[in-house]
Amino acid sequence: MSDYKHIGKDFVPPDIMGKVTGKAKYAEDFRVDGMVYARMYTSPMAHGRVTNIDTSAAEAMEGVVGILTAEDVPATDAPSAAILTNTPAYIGDPILAVAAEDEKTAENALASIRIDIEPLPFVTDPLDSLVAGGPDAREEGNVYVRSQEGSGFRTVKWTKEQVDEFRAGREPGGEYANEWSYGDLEKGFADARVIIEEPFVTIGYAHMSMEPRTAMAYWQNGTCYMHASCQSQSFFMPGLAAMLGVETKDVVLISENTGGGFGSKIGAYPIVGLAGYFSKKIGRPVQLRVTREQEYYMGSARVGFQGWIKIGFAADGRATAADVFIVEDIGPNATGGDASSAGGAISLVYDPEAMRFRGLPILTNTTPRGAQRGPGQNQIAAVMAPLMDKAAKQLGIDRLQIRRVNAVQNDTTVYAGQEPVTSAYMDEALQQGAEMFDWETRKNQAKRNGSKVRGLGIGQGYHSAGTNGFDGLVRITPDGKIHLHSGIGNLGTYSFASTSRVAAEVLKCEWDDCVIHHGSTEANLPWNSYQAGSVSTFTQTRTNYVAAMDAVDKMKRIAAETLGGTPDDYDIDGQRVFRIGTPAQGMSYGAVAARAIQLGGAYSGQTYPEDIHEITQRSVQNLAGSGLIGVAKDKLERNGVIPGLACAFVEIELDLETGKYDILDYVGIADCGTVLHPQGLAQQMKGGAVWGMGMAGLERHVYDPQNGLPANVGFHECRIPTYMDVPSVIQVGAVDLPDPQNPVGARGIGEPAMGCSVAALTSAISDALDGHIFGRTPISADMIVNHVAGLDQSFKPLQTNNS
Amino acid sequence: MASFDVMPDMQLYQPVELDDALNLADRYAADGWILGGGQDTYGWLKDRAKHPQAMIDLNGIEALRGIRDSADGIEIGAATTLREIIRDKRINRDYRLLSDAAATVASPQIRNVGTLGGNLVQDARCWYYRRGLSCYRAGGNTCYADTPDGINREHCIFGASRCVAVTPSDTATAMVALEATMVVQSVAGERTVSAEDFFVGPDTHITQMTSLEPGEILTAVRIPAKWAGKKFYFEKIADRNVWDFALVSIAVAMSMDGDTIGDSRFVCGGVACTPHRLRHVENAARGKSLSDESADAVASIAADGARPLNANQYKLPMMENLVRRAMRA
Amino acid sequence: MEIATYKNDVWGREVLLGVSWDLLWLVCVVALVIIAGHAVYMATQQRAERPSQEGKHVQRHEPIDRIMHWVMAISILALLFTGVLPIIGIEFAWLTLHWIAGLVLTAAVLFHIIRSVLQKDLMSVWISPSDLKEALDDSHKPGKYSVAQKGMHAAVTVVTLLVIVSGLFMFAMIDTPWWDRTNSLSESTLGWMFLIHGLTTLALIALIAFHLYFTLRPEKLFYLRSMIKGWISEDELSANHDPERWAPDDSA
Repeated sequence: MSDYKHIGKDFVPPDIMGKVTGKAKYAEDFRVDGMVYARMYTSPMAHGRVTNIDTSAAEAMEGVVGILTAEDVPATDAPSAAILTNTPAYIGDPILAVAAEDEKTAENALASIRIDIEPLPFVTDPLDSLVAGGPDAREEGNVYVRSQEGSGFRTVKWTKEQVDEFRAGREPGGEYANEWSYGDLEKGFADARVIIEEPFVTIGYAHMSMEPRTAMAYWQNGTCYMHASCQSQSFFMPGLAAMLGVETKDVVLISENTGGGFGSKIGAYPIVGLAGYFSKKIGRPVQLRVTREQEYYMGSARVGFQGWIKIGFAADGRATAADVFIVEDIGPNATGGDASSAGGAISLVYDPEAMRFRGLPILTNTTPRGAQRGPGQNQIAAVMAPLMDKAAKQLGIDRLQIRRVNAVQNDTTVYAGQEPVTSAYMDEALQQGAEMFDWETRKNQAKRNGSKVRGLGIGQGYHSAGTNGFDGLVRITPDGKIHLHSGIGNLGTYSFASTSRVAAEVLKCEWDDCVIHHGSTEANLPWNSYQAGSVSTFTQTRTNYVAAMDAVDKMKRIAAETLGGTPDDYDIDGQRVFRIGTPAQGMSYGAVAARAIQLGGAYSGQTYPEDIHEITQRSVQNLAGSGLIGVAKDKLERNGVIPGLACAFVEIELDLETGKYDILDYVGIADCGTVLHPQGLAQQMKGGAVWGMGMAGLERHVYDPQNGLPANVGFHECRIPTYMDVPSVIQVGAVDLPDPQNPVGARGIGEPAMGCSVAALTSAISDALDGHIFGRTPISADMIVNHVAGLDQSFKPLQTNNS
Repeated sequence: MASFDVMPDMQLYQPVELDDALNLADRYAADGWILGGGQDTYGWLKDRAKHPQAMIDLNGIEALRGIRDSADGIEIGAATTLREIIRDKRINRDYRLLSDAAATVASPQIRNVGTLGGNLVQDARCWYYRRGLSCYRAGGNTCYADTPDGINREHCIFGASRCVAVTPSDTATAMVALEATMVVQSVAGERTVSAEDFFVGPDTHITQMTSLEPGEILTAVRIPAKWAGKKFYFEKIADRNVWDFALVSIAVAMSMDGDTIGDSRFVCGGVACTPHRLRHVENAARGKSLSDESADAVASIAADGARPLNANQYKLPMMENLVRRAMRA
Repeated sequence: MEIATYKNDVWGREVLLGVSWDLLWLVCVVALVIIAGHAVYMATQQRAERPSQEGKHVQRHEPIDRIMHWVMAISILALLFTGVLPIIGIEFAWLTLHWIAGLVLTAAVLFHIIRSVLQKDLMSVWISPSDLKEALDDSHKPGKYSVAQKGMHAAVTVVTLLVIVSGLFMFAMIDTPWWDRTNSLSESTLGWMFLIHGLTTLALIALIAFHLYFTLRPEKLFYLRSMIKGWISEDELSANHDPERWAPDDSA
């Protein structure tokens, strides 16, 4: 192992204290002079057309300051989400907003508003829309295809017989919208000893961030100040500016703490636009705090799948071919795209020699969808795990072995284009997990004890875990402080801090002398990635690395200029730059910074590289002359897919009489390259495990198909797992082998941490039930009891969103 | 539609004497809201699904709290918290069924403030009803749950009469099993009603869960000594292990003569709008011993007469299994 | 006072809920006032000599018709009690009794209609313009049924058919031994059904009050006897009916 000073070491992130003392301010905690409170009137109907709005009673109320309707905001073309709409396409679609001196007045005003809406056909289950004669979620069509060749609506209908065939678990024969493939599929199946063919359903569900989204906006001299609950910081701004119809330079985004996003707050979402336009209209600051219930309507949700998969295996367990067809529920706004990612995950995690993916994205009048922790990868992980078990059983090989033999490695090529990976150590992770879990002993233990049956499961999770091309910015001031500017955002994972430590590592400085600047455009932040898709670690360590390297380079040059010699004669340590061989000859970081200010130019940010983003440029302009500026765009090598990988081993005890199971043991192993922050990693792995447990057994959307009403719009009704539903000890580990394409060897892990968990559980439940495959998540107690009692399930095959 | 999330204006009364509370309850009648631990209160009010004019907070009335001896057994004040019940030595010794049931209510945080009275009189947990729809239970003329594609996985399999909601109370089943008596007071005086009659179904009282009328307050529960120290069994199956309502639960009290069951009370929760007593199971269990064989025999008739809805037939085997588990040695 | 009540439907739109039951008290009061008024008026009138019930009997109602009348009467009263008592706060498990009584009534009404059509007896109770003469001219006597009786029958017919039809639609919306409740009516249609059912119930309450009152009036009591025993005397016949217009079978 390396002798890193900061990397791989625990530390106390700067935002911890505020969170444990309650002093951390979130978007809704801010107040400014003259601020008014907005509340929204949203659609009570799954699909409709507003025919009349009567706000006269509300306008006459004392304390009501203004009303904003769809006429006051830019129109958007379907299926894109509108800030306010007169053609709502889901229950909870915002129609108008009221601003008042306080929230109660705003709510009283809402209660007095009369809106007439003409109902339009609606659908909550994609297959109900797919069948001939079925309703379409949008008047423009029931399918929306996004592709590089052009995006657009389509109307795709299958005959009833085709839908019934699909429901019966046979290969779908109807029209589809997306396709990709590689290899010789026919040959692959011909070569297979065993072929597994199964239908599957994964029901979508809400993101359930602890913090419902809030936006507070006000305008000063043409600049919009926006306090919002965001996952990303700099990346959020261009979208926000576009939504407000201004240039990026004219928005100031403040988002220091965010109570979770999980994919639902990556980029500018409609209510930030609402607050901005409302404030502009009435000339006062407007805060819009959505209610918990509204967060369930518009706060985004995981895409649901209804699919069919056929996968062939050779005698040694090697996957020879995979053919997958996925109908994905893309909600009313055609957001998601999980299905193709699921196909990609199959190609990477199980590495079939040949593969075909076909997909059909169908619109529904359910809550808008968005990326949710492992979008696509985690659904398919849950589907695949019991299928791998079934194949292993039929081939007579160990369940661990079939995963190892297909495990992605450094030389595996993946996806439609059979791209390389930067590095991958799934096999090592599986071995490490098997050892920690003692797989060999456990797999031979007795299963049955009275009504209870033990089940063992293995799960594998994957998500691409990195991107590149963003900017880094560090600054050293004459007081010797090292300022680490992070524009990634702070969704609550502490990764903004742990990735900043790479700069401290490069600068060989004490953490106590570092100051992280984040959370506001006015903190002069660089253009950084979205904080999503498990990319922060890989991406942000690179930007911090290049910025710090730039600073080191500049320090050496300043030293050479000041003390003589060439930059190569100098090195850094102990927060000094000194002459190699004669360490006494050198300058402290503070002195270098002071000198940088004197010298000006690139040293202190008067000039900067042309290839950095305009957001970074403005930050450098603002900081110019305040110290030594290290700024650069990440142009380091990046070739191929950056896999974040994890595996999990779980043992459950399932009671056949109650349908409930206890999770006895859980071991999760990460392959995330070099471990950057052990506590942060453990937190991600445990948090992901809990999420997976929720997906496996508890969480799902429930809609009444007769009227489109959602049944679960609260924490209680959504049944997220509690402390009592998860094991008190979750063991985690990491392979800790560096990725060659990251300067510190790190890759992301957030999403695979969950995928491996849900997969391990579907595998374990199947194991406990003698290999029965429900082909559905979540697997709830009633399904298990029905199965054991030999009763039909209460849903039709492939039915979704209503059980 | 508005998604309300702020308390509306209303009067708040915090009496310290029961008589004052009764007078207030009488004065406001159906427009008064009796507040115990508040765990089934603020959602209704903030959502504006219920519109009382006044809230009558019982928490300051010392007479409503505590666990005392009664002439025949014990009396528990209605404002006693569930946590106090779970931790009470005497209840744990003699009426373990109640403390076991109380320990499964909601979550530790809720049990710390939630009261016995509040748990017993809490409103139905049908999501359509809780959404504020004008269903039968809310005074309307239809049921949304009992429809061909209704979402009724958590609804009843017995005793439906237009409304198909189930009792959400975990302690109610224990009270019926223990033959408890409810003490109800109003300005007109005190009346007592057996637990079995206290909980009312939609066939007679479609907008109420209990026989409490406006102006009345449940002040105490009396548990007779009859079942003290008998053999008890309580189990609740819920999707989550905490903060969830029973899919099916069972509370059983059995009077054992050696290995043989004599009188018994089998009461299921989550299957009907009221705690559902299984008289035929009690009859079948009489004279049997606790064993796998008798468990299987009795379990097989447990769900007789059930009428499942489109999504809750799993409750039949679940119920049978709970009876089976109660009957095992 | 409102006639109808309203609620929000599943999508928050205002729809009919049903009749406003405050009207129940109004109907009761109005019916009692009318009855009391009539009773007072009659008390001030010179009392006509009652025809003798002695002498030869003529058949007014066949046994089967009497049975059907009482079946209908009992089922309607059962429907009213089971339907209305819970509304005024007397709570009991009324629904099953109510729909069973409703089915009995429906069957009896169907039987009555079919029999009337087959017997071609419809005209005897049908109001015709000539009946109006009765009202204007005391010497003009009715056939089998007086214009008041015909009017009452017509009103009860219309109201009962409406209450039955609306009731049958509502019947589809509850669980029965033969089917699980359907979702066959939209909420607004269901509201109309409840409104019609409620309004006709109120009308029935008034009509039944009038019917009972007139039945029990001393000068009309022989009609009640005829509905129990089937006959009236020849005296009663000639005093109240025009033999030209109604020549009953005298074999009873």
